[in-house]
Amino acid sequence: MSADGSPLNIGRSVERPDVVAKVTGETRYGGDLEGPEVLSVAVIRSPHPHAKLTHIDFEPARAVAGVVAVFGPDALGGTNLHGLIRRDHPVFCTDKVRYRGDALGIVVAETAAAAAAGRDAVVVDYEPLPVIGTMAEAMAEGAAQVHARGNVLASALIRKGDADAALAAADHVVTTTTHTRGVDHAFLDLEAGCARVVDDRIEIHASGQWVHEERRLIAIALGEPVERIRIIQPPTGGAFGGREDISIQIYLGLAARELGVPVRLQYTRHESMIARHKRHPMEIEYTLGARADGTITAAKVVIRSDEGAYASTGPAVLRKSVSHATGPYRVANIHVDGVAVFTNNCPTGAMRGFGACQLAIAYEGALAELARELELDLVALKRKNLLRDGEGITTNQVIPVASAIDCMDAALARLDPAPTPDSGSTLADRATASWAARSYASPAPHLRRGYGVSTICFGIGYGDGYPDGSRARVRISEAGVVEVYSGGVEVGQGLHGLIRQIAGEELRVDAQTVEVIASDTLTTPESGSSSATRQTLFTGNAVKLAAGDVRRQLIDAAALELSLHWEELDIRDGVIRAREGDGQAHITFAELVAKARARGFALDVTALYQPRTIPGDPYTGLSPRAFITYMFASHVAEVLVDVDTGEVRVERIIAAHDVGKAINPREVRGQIEGGVAQGLGMALMEEIVSEAGEMLNASFTDYIIPTIIDVPTIDAVIVERPDLEGPYGARGVGEPPLIATVPAVLGAIADAIGVGVHEVPATAERIWQRLHQTAAEPEAAQ
Amino acid sequence: MIDGNFSSETETEPRSGDGLVQLRCTLNGEPTQVAVDPTETIYDTLRERLRLTGTKGACLEGECGSCTILVDGEPVTACLVLSPQVEGKSLTTIEGLAAAASETDDPGASRRLHAVQRAFVDAGAVQCGYCTPGLIISAVALLERTPRPSLAEVKAGLAGNLCRCTGYMKIIDAVMSAAEQIAEPA
Repeated sequence: MSADGSPLNIGRSVERPDVVAKVTGETRYGGDLEGPEVLSVAVIRSPHPHAKLTHIDFEPARAVAGVVAVFGPDALGGTNLHGLIRRDHPVFCTDKVRYRGDALGIVVAETAAAAAAGRDAVVVDYEPLPVIGTMAEAMAEGAAQVHARGNVLASALIRKGDADAALAAADHVVTTTTHTRGVDHAFLDLEAGCARVVDDRIEIHASGQWVHEERRLIAIALGEPVERIRIIQPPTGGAFGGREDISIQIYLGLAARELGVPVRLQYTRHESMIARHKRHPMEIEYTLGARADGTITAAKVVIRSDEGAYASTGPAVLRKSVSHATGPYRVANIHVDGVAVFTNNCPTGAMRGFGACQLAIAYEGALAELARELELDLVALKRKNLLRDGEGITTNQVIPVASAIDCMDAALARLDPAPTPDSGSTLADRATASWAARSYASPAPHLRRGYGVSTICFGIGYGDGYPDGSRARVRISEAGVVEVYSGGVEVGQGLHGLIRQIAGEELRVDAQTVEVIASDTLTTPESGSSSATRQTLFTGNAVKLAAGDVRRQLIDAAALELSLHWEELDIRDGVIRAREGDGQAHITFAELVAKARARGFALDVTALYQPRTIPGDPYTGLSPRAFITYMFASHVAEVLVDVDTGEVRVERIIAAHDVGKAINPREVRGQIEGGVAQGLGMALMEEIVSEAGEMLNASFTDYIIPTIIDVPTIDAVIVERPDLEGPYGARGVGEPPLIATVPAVLGAIADAIGVGVHEVPATAERIWQRLHQTAAEPEAAQ
Repeated sequence: MIDGNFSSETETEPRSGDGLVQLRCTLNGEPTQVAVDPTETIYDTLRERLRLTGTKGACLEGECGSCTILVDGEPVTACLVLSPQVEGKSLTTIEGLAAAASETDDPGASRRLHAVQRAFVDAGAVQCGYCTPGLIISAVALLERTPRPSLAEVKAGLAGNLCRCTGYMKIIDAVMSAAEQIAEPA
C-alpha cells in the first residue's frame, strides 16, 4: 500500500522485464549462447527399450574425423546416477538399458555433425530382454523385471470412513474406467546449453526448473563438491515440468571438466521427445456411491500409473493423485489404492497438473455419469456436493477458503451474454439462470452442441511434509536501487516480473525500477523449484518478507538521520520524507545507504519462507495439512460434435480461477489462456503412441499440439477470495487452468452425444466408437 | 505459411577447395556475402555463420514456424530452405524489424520497435518468447498482404506458428492492434 492506501504495483498489469528483448530477438536462450567455434557434444543412446549390455566399443567413434573425445561411465567420477526423488537413473548405462533412448556415453567433436557421426560409429552389443510395454505386462506373473527391486515403484492410499459399507448402502452406484495417455511438454526451446570451466568452477548454462537442486545432482554424478558446480540459467523457452529432470547438464559439465574448453549441446526435437520424461499415463477405476437425492456418500478408486523406466517424480505424482482423488467434493467415505508401475516406456514425471489432472478427468467423469443416472442437472448436483468453506477435503485437511462454487458461478454467469433482468441479484442466481438459458441450437443436423462444467482443486507446493521453502535476498545498492536476488527460475511464467512487483510494493517504488538478479547458483539464494504452482506463494512471500524488513530498516535509519519519529515518515519512489511539515525533511535511498550502513542497518536482508506441511499418515494417507493451501477453479466448455465423423470443435471456454489476488492480472490471464490451450491438446489430440517401448510419433510432424486454429475464444475470469498464506492474498495460477480444461471438454462432448467419454485424447475415432458402442450392433464398437 | 517459390537453378560461385560457395543476398537491408556449404539451410547460415540467433528453431522440420523469416517479403520456414536458394534475394529476420521502424511506428518509445513488436509488448502476447520472433515475422507478412485482417484471416495467417505458452489469445489481440496502429498511426 502506498501512503494513500492504494497499491502501487499489486494488481497492475506491469510490463514484463524480459519482453522487449524477446520481441527484438536479442534474448539468448540456451542454444544461442555459443557458436560453431566451440566443441559440440552428442549423446550415445540405446535403440533398444530393454536389453543387457554385453559390450561397448567406443574406439570406432574416436577414429571419426573431428571427434575429440568419447566419455563413458568411467569418466564421471561420481555415482553415475541421477533422479529427483530416488537416484535410480544411470547417467550412462553399464549393465542394461531400460528404455529406448537410455544414454551410454557422449562424443565430443569439432562440429555437431562430427559428434553425431562419432555417436553413430560406437559399437554396442545388446542382448535384448523381454520388453515391458504396458502396465498389464509389468504386473503379470513372471514378468521381466525392469529394475532388480521389481516392477512396482511405489504405492499410495487413502482410507477415510468405510467406503465399502457406504457403497453397499448407497441408492446409486456408478463405475467408470478412465484412461489417460502420455503427453509431451513440447516446450519450443529445445534442451540446449553450454559449459566451460571458469576459476576452477564448472559453469553450466542450461535450463532447468530448480537450479540449486540440479547443481546438487550434477555434483553427485560427477563426484564434485557442490560448490564446484555453477549453474546459470539462460532465458528459458517454456518448461511445464519438462525441465525438472536432469537433461543435458551432466553431459555438458563432464565434457567441459574433462577437456577444459567450452562445449555446447543441443537436442533435436526427436531426441528431446524420446529422451525426456512424459506425463504419466494412468488407468483409473472409479466407483461413486450416492443417495437418491444425489448426495455423494462414497468413492472407491484404483489408480495405476505408468512410470516408464525410471522413478523421476513418480512417488510424488502418485501421492498427488490419491490426495486429489475426490477433488473439490465432500466425500465422507473414501478408499483409494494407487500403484506406480515400471515399464520399458519413456520415463514419466512432472508435467503441469501432475497427478491431479488425471484424477480430475476421473472424478468429473464419474460425477457426470451419476448426474445422467439420477437424471439430475449437473450444476445442481455439483452445488449439492462441492465443499464449502471450512470443510475437509480428500485428506481431511480443512479448507478455509473452498471457492469451487464461487468459481463455478463466476464461469456460468458468463455463459449467457445477455442475462434477463429478472435473473436474480446474487451471482448464484445469475449463474443458474445463465446455465438454464444455454442453447442447443445447431448449425447443421450432423452437428450436436454440448456443454461441460468442471470444478477442480489443486494443492499448492510440494506439501506432504517436504521442507519446501524459498529464500529471497533484498538489498539496496550503493546507488539506491532495489535489488532482489532469487534462485527462482523464469521459464516464461512471469516470476521475475512478479518479484519486481512485490519488492516494489514493499519498498514503495515503481516495479520497473527494481533489479532482479536470479537463477544463478553462485550469486542467488535457493528459492526452490518453479513447479507445483509454488513460486507466487513461496518466493512471493520470501520477497515480501525481505523487502518489508529492508523498508523498516530504511525508515528507521531515516528517522535517525532526520531526527524524526518513524511514524512521521513516508517512503515513496526512492525518497523518505516527513509526512507533514515544510517538506524539507527528506532523504533519498542513495543518500541514505552509506549512512544507514554506518549505523548498522545492513539494508540487505535474506528471508526464508518455509511453511510447515504434514505428511499423510502411512495407514490412512490423511493429513491435517497436506498442502499449504488449495486453489479452486471451474471451466465451462461449449462444443459442437460431428456425429458422422466424431470430430469436435470447441466453440468456447470460460475459465474461472480463484487466484486469491491477481498480482499481475494480464499475466494471470495469460497463464489461464495458455493452460486452457494445453488442456485442449490433452483433451483432444495429444498422445504419445508407443508400441513395445518404441515411441512412434516422436516429432512435431506426428505429435500434434494445438495451433491458433484449434483454440477457441477463451474467457479468463479472475476470482479473488484472498488466501490466508499468500502474499497480498495471492495463491498462484500455473497448473489449474490445464486441469480444469480436460474434464470440461469431455463433459461437453458427453453432453452433446449423450454418452460419457472417459479416455483422452478424445480423438474423432474414439468419439465415433463411443457413439457406435451405444448403437444396436455391438460389433460396431470394434 | 506461404511456401517460397524458389528456382532450383541457383547462381552461386563455383565451389572452392573447402566445398563452400559464396552466397550474396540482401540481409535486413544490408548487402551481405557469406561463404556457405551448399547443403546447409539458411537457418544454419543465419545462426551459425552470421550469429543472428533471433531466428529460432523448435523442430527443424517445417512444423513449428519458429524459424520464419521473410524472403522477398514472403514468410518462409528457414529450416527448409537451402542457403543457395536465397541467392540474390532480400531477407528480413527479426533483427531487421526494429531497425526499419520509423518514429510513426513507435511514437515516443525509448526503444523504437516495429509496430507489430510494440503491439506484442503492449498486449502481453509474450511469455517464454521462443515462438515470438517467428510469430512477429508471420504477422508482419500477414499485415502486408491483408492490412485489416478479420479474426479468421489472423488465424489463417498465423496457423503455421506454434506457441505452447499463451493460448494465442493475446497474440490475436496484438496483431489486431498492430493492424490498427499501422493503418491509423497515433
